[in-house]
Amino acid sequence: MQRLREQVSLVPWDAVEWTLRLLLAGIFFYACADKIIHPRDFASIVKSYHVLPDPFANLTALWLPWLELVLGVCLFTGFLRDGALALATGLLAAFWITLVVDYFRGINVACGCFTSSPEEAAPMLWYIGRDALLLALALLTVEARRRAGEPAQG
Amino acid sequence: MRLVPRLFVQSFSILAISAALALGVNAVRPDGPAPVFAAQSAVQLDKAGGEIGVKDAALLFITGRAVFLDARSQYEFQLGHVQGAISLPPREFASQYQDIKPLLAGKEAVIAYCDGDRCPLSHALAKHLRDAGVKNVYVMVNGWTLWQAEKLPIAKGMAPLSKPAQGGICKDCENK
Repeated sequence: MQRLREQVSLVPWDAVEWTLRLLLAGIFFYACADKIIHPRDFASIVKSYHVLPDPFANLTALWLPWLELVLGVCLFTGFLRDGALALATGLLAAFWITLVVDYFRGINVACGCFTSSPEEAAPMLWYIGRDALLLALALLTVEARRRAGEPAQG
Repeated sequence: MRLVPRLFVQSFSILAISAALALGVNAVRPDGPAPVFAAQSAVQLDKAGGEIGVKDAALLFITGRAVFLDARSQYEFQLGHVQGAISLPPREFASQYQDIKPLLAGKEAVIAYCDGDRCPLSHALAKHLRDAGVKNVYVMVNGWTLWQAEKLPIAKGMAPLSKPAQGGICKDCENK
């Protein structure tokens, strides 16, 4: 057990956290671009999820891509890092739960995850699987951050 | 700062920055959507007024969103008119408008009609209404003929003025 702990402590968690954080930042940058350019198209995708009352659909469609952009900047630069990591993880979890709920409600939506084009039609299970991977990546980044910070806190 | 308060402060900062950016950029971009979504209507009315087709007028009639003003003579009105319409020939506008004015409030459209493609009465009535400050005035050209041709609800006789013009079919649409 002691040996295992020593082996784990050999992992450069700082570098792992940095790499994963940059990867996450890149994903958020990629995700926000098209949605910022085409807010109306994205608003119609948000409406099609049927999880928000209609009056909030536009506001959400306007805000989400900018939140993704700011999260991307924070993750990339390390500014407000812990808050950005927590929000990014929460956001991906919320996306995943929304997709799962819609899947069980029988609602087929264009994901709107990386593009605002409704023509990007893929099976819901593909979206759910992809979002689960992204959520796992965010959780892994949080864990790497925790481990990287352990010696300093201790 | 301890972890939980730090997370709250940082998260709130990120949310505030992104919200300010989103609303700020949307305010200056020409193609930005309204932040609060307004339900779309199948009836697209020109806010400056103008003419309205019988299909749009019928939709507004069904949902009770319009008041219909019959610009023909009272004799023709008694023979038949759009259900719930109010008789208001242009030459009687001055004497009757004050009685009718309360019935126009809260309606999406005030629709004037008469009969025939070239009938000037509805246009004359619309002009009187606009001059009196009513903005959402529309003319249903050849309204009476087209309304009858489509077998839309009609009524006969003289309607009492105290009775507001209501939509003929969908009485509780606003509650749905």
